[in-house]
Amino acid sequence: MPRVLIVAYGNPLRCDDGIAWRAADALAPKVSASEVEILRLHQLTPELADTVRIFHAVIFVDAASCDRSQNKPGMIRLEEIRGGTSEPARFSHVLSPKKVLDLALQLYGASPSAFVITVAGKNFGHGDSLSAPVASALPELVARIEHLIKQSNP
Amino acid sequence: MKQESTIVIDPVTRIEGHSKITLHLNEDGRVEDARFHVTQFRGFEKLCEGRPFYEMPSLMARICGICPVSHLIASAKACDSLLAVRIPPTADKLRRVFGLAQVTQSHALSLFHLSSPDLLLGMDADPTKSNIFGVAEANKELALDGIRLRQFGQKIIERLGGKRIHPAWVVPGGVSEPLTEANRDAILEALPEALAIAERTLEWFKSIMERFREEISTFGNFPTMFMGIVKKDNGLTFYGGKLRIVDASGHVVADDLDPTNYDDYIGEKVEPWSYLKSTYYKPKGFPDGVYRVGPLARLNVADRCGTPRADQELAEFHELQRTAVLSSFHYHHARLIEILYCIERLESLLNDPEILSKHVRAVARPNALEGVGACEAPRGTLFHHYKIDEQGLIRWVNLIIATGHNNLAMNRSVLQVAKHFVHGRRLTPGMLNRVEAVIRCYDPCLSCSTHAVGQMRLQVQLIGPEGEVLDEVARA
Repeated sequence: MPRVLIVAYGNPLRCDDGIAWRAADALAPKVSASEVEILRLHQLTPELADTVRIFHAVIFVDAASCDRSQNKPGMIRLEEIRGGTSEPARFSHVLSPKKVLDLALQLYGASPSAFVITVAGKNFGHGDSLSAPVASALPELVARIEHLIKQSNP
Repeated sequence: MKQESTIVIDPVTRIEGHSKITLHLNEDGRVEDARFHVTQFRGFEKLCEGRPFYEMPSLMARICGICPVSHLIASAKACDSLLAVRIPPTADKLRRVFGLAQVTQSHALSLFHLSSPDLLLGMDADPTKSNIFGVAEANKELALDGIRLRQFGQKIIERLGGKRIHPAWVVPGGVSEPLTEANRDAILEALPEALAIAERTLEWFKSIMERFREEISTFGNFPTMFMGIVKKDNGLTFYGGKLRIVDASGHVVADDLDPTNYDDYIGEKVEPWSYLKSTYYKPKGFPDGVYRVGPLARLNVADRCGTPRADQELAEFHELQRTAVLSSFHYHHARLIEILYCIERLESLLNDPEILSKHVRAVARPNALEGVGACEAPRGTLFHHYKIDEQGLIRWVNLIIATGHNNLAMNRSVLQVAKHFVHGRRLTPGMLNRVEAVIRCYDPCLSCSTHAVGQMRLQVQLIGPEGEVLDEVARA
């Protein structure tokens, strides 16, 4: 039974929004399927609460927008998150990582350790290629996820 | 001085896609007119032109993340017509399994994730609690059941199609891969839990209906026709058959209609205030030809479900009204009966030994230049109509999506609810929520019927005759 879940989410047909799926592709051959499970999703839905509850650690991988977080394209940010601490929900069928953890805690009493790691994107237009700064950030993103896996799966 | 005003609800929340509602008030502050505007734009009919026809199922699946399977099926059926082939019996059955799984998960999303906050917490509940977290707080089992039932449908789709969203397993001529014994057994193993969830949710729903007497009498409770595809024996089906239309008294208006000739009896009208077309029954003209589709309509047009438990529930459902069941509030009830039917049908199909046959695809070159595919999507009747050239390239596409069929009825429903619940020049969240909740009964999928852009935000405005804002409520 894998102990670590990687939730790579975004739209691979919207350029930099597909960075998480690229990272998942790069990670897959580097990790043991018996230790790490990788999910590629378009968005986070309530059903994910039922999945995350059985893992020791969950790592959410996503693209971030530059304008909102004042990131520079390609900048990687890591945040540790936990359930039971976030703001009221705005939607019923599309959730943030924190809300997934809230639901896992509320419904199942599950509280896996969890991280959100994001890469600031530059181009979210139609297409399946990454912008130059985001493509350059991919190796470091993968390395940092690998490091988190090692931390979470000693 | 008395003055006319307009209320704008923009966007409508807890539905699939983006829309707004405007309510027009008269000088006394009473609602005189209402409109449900779909504010997103779709372009699928145009962007497909020039593509090879065999790409269509995969392209069409991209129309929607909730019901891609219905688009796959309707599209593949249109392509079957272009090939002029009869698909292998096992492929037919597997497509049905795929469709039933999708109806189950889509109905579960609508009922549990989008509408159960209204049903469990009430229409006047705190908007910040009207979501799955509020449901989980008030009734944990209901929230868990919603998650499990939706997972059940999604996992079947994943087992058959390789992924939950936008699978490309349904192809012109059949399906691309047969069902394995292991996957068949895994699905069968999950059926009892799904059936138990459907049964207890239906019982729960029936137990709370009394609380919504006022909503039942005002949520789209008016005479219209109802349309749906039925089997040859007039039984419920999602995959294919003949079209049947009944009137508000339950009498058959038209029967044995060939879905491929839809253009003979279904008209489409464009309104300047919405990207969503309104369809109507041509013999009665626009707008008198208003009809409804989807769960309520299917249970009004079908004589039977054809499975034991669903038939018991259908009989009880028909006792709600001597005529056709008219209130759109009962879409929820009908949705739950359909979930029950889907699970029973899945069991029957998966226990058929032929379901594991390896003969799942007929191969041919195009033998016709025009093809129509139709099926019952979760929200109602779905048509895909393609024309190709001699090289097999798409030259023309027309799609009629379930939500479009319901457009006229949704508009009338909003007006009925607003007239009953919205008064004066002050707005309350409960008023506003009921206007949205009647739309949720139809479970419109605007991403399907148009194409999603923009961000969700709710804003209600009272606007005076000179354009001045008299009152405003906004949800960020």
